[in-house]
Amino acid sequence: MSRAAAFVALVLLAGAGLGLTYVGQRASAPQIASEQRLLDSRRLLDLIAPDAYDNQPLEQPLALTDTTLSHSTLLAGYRASKSGQPVAVLLRTQTEGYAGAIELLIAIDANGRLLGVKTLRHNETPALGGLIGDWPNQWLATFTGKSRNAPDDAGWALKKDQGQFDQLAGATVTSRATVNAIHDALRYFDEHRATLLGSGS
Amino acid sequence: MIRPTNLTNTLMLMLLLGTSATLAGALGMLLMSSVVVVVYGTCIGPLRSRLSGNNLMLASLLLAATLTSCANILAQRWALQWQQSIGIYAGLIALQCVVLEYNGFFRQAFAQRLKFFGLSSGLLLALAVLRELFGQGHIGRGLSEHWQGLVLFSDGLHLLTLAPGAFILLGLLLAARQAWTRSNALPKETHHP
Repeated sequence: MSRAAAFVALVLLAGAGLGLTYVGQRASAPQIASEQRLLDSRRLLDLIAPDAYDNQPLEQPLALTDTTLSHSTLLAGYRASKSGQPVAVLLRTQTEGYAGAIELLIAIDANGRLLGVKTLRHNETPALGGLIGDWPNQWLATFTGKSRNAPDDAGWALKKDQGQFDQLAGATVTSRATVNAIHDALRYFDEHRATLLGSGS
Repeated sequence: MIRPTNLTNTLMLMLLLGTSATLAGALGMLLMSSVVVVVYGTCIGPLRSRLSGNNLMLASLLLAATLTSCANILAQRWALQWQQSIGIYAGLIALQCVVLEYNGFFRQAFAQRLKFFGLSSGLLLALAVLRELFGQGHIGRGLSEHWQGLVLFSDGLHLLTLAPGAFILLGLLLAARQAWTRSNALPKETHHP
């Protein structure tokens, strides 16, 4: 094949390849997006029992105001409801850990009690603070059932700070950041209870 | 034309070692790469008769890249979770196609190609089973959403889940094969008149 013909053939091949890939991408984008949503919801929503809610919390994120809290920042909020009645509020917060940001997902039920806490992202030292990244998590499970009033504000600290909570061995900064972030989220829920729970009780 | 293949074959090592971390990843990658290689083999035929040399390499690169991108999009559509864990190695399938083309793989007889495919997939699966079993203690996690895999040990040798451990394991497997073939060849050498 002459050089010009070979060049034309290569250009045509490149164009066909690009076109085919582009068409394939455009055609598959909606399905990929819905699969991604399914994966996300499975990852984020396993804090609440699946039969406790019947809406799609991740589809309608809540509009949050005053998201800068004393030790953390709120990134997003979702409401899970069953038959129109709010069942739980999921708050996604970010706080500064030992080696970077820690992103937590905190589930609070309609009465202000903690349903569970999950770590979404962290950069902590693998065998020390990094234990918050395990799921299911033994240490984070100790927060389940607590609320803003039980323990009181002074009790929401590590035992070495005259509070009530054990820390992770060798990870004081990580533990303190997590406890403060959870306390912040509970205080925020208390102050904005009506907006977060919506038109329900 | 068969060119010296040792150095170029090491380019295929990345795919082997990267995807053999878990059995689910290895099986998925095997499926995806065999589909891409088969489609590539059928499409490159007409091009090979018309182009040669550097132009043929360029054409094979373009074709391999297109097929790998399409396969990647389809994998995202049908198996998003698998694709997110192993998908970074998907691009290396294109490299594998080009290396095979360079080595003249697609011009060999069908039986030879089948033998190569059998040997390489056997190696990949053997590595994957060993690495997952002794590195993590379970086999088959990730194959289905509801099955946690056959759990045999509670913990494993963490080194095996990383790339250096994979290299070491590959070396051990090759040494074992050497020892096996040498022990089979020995009786034939001792009978010397």
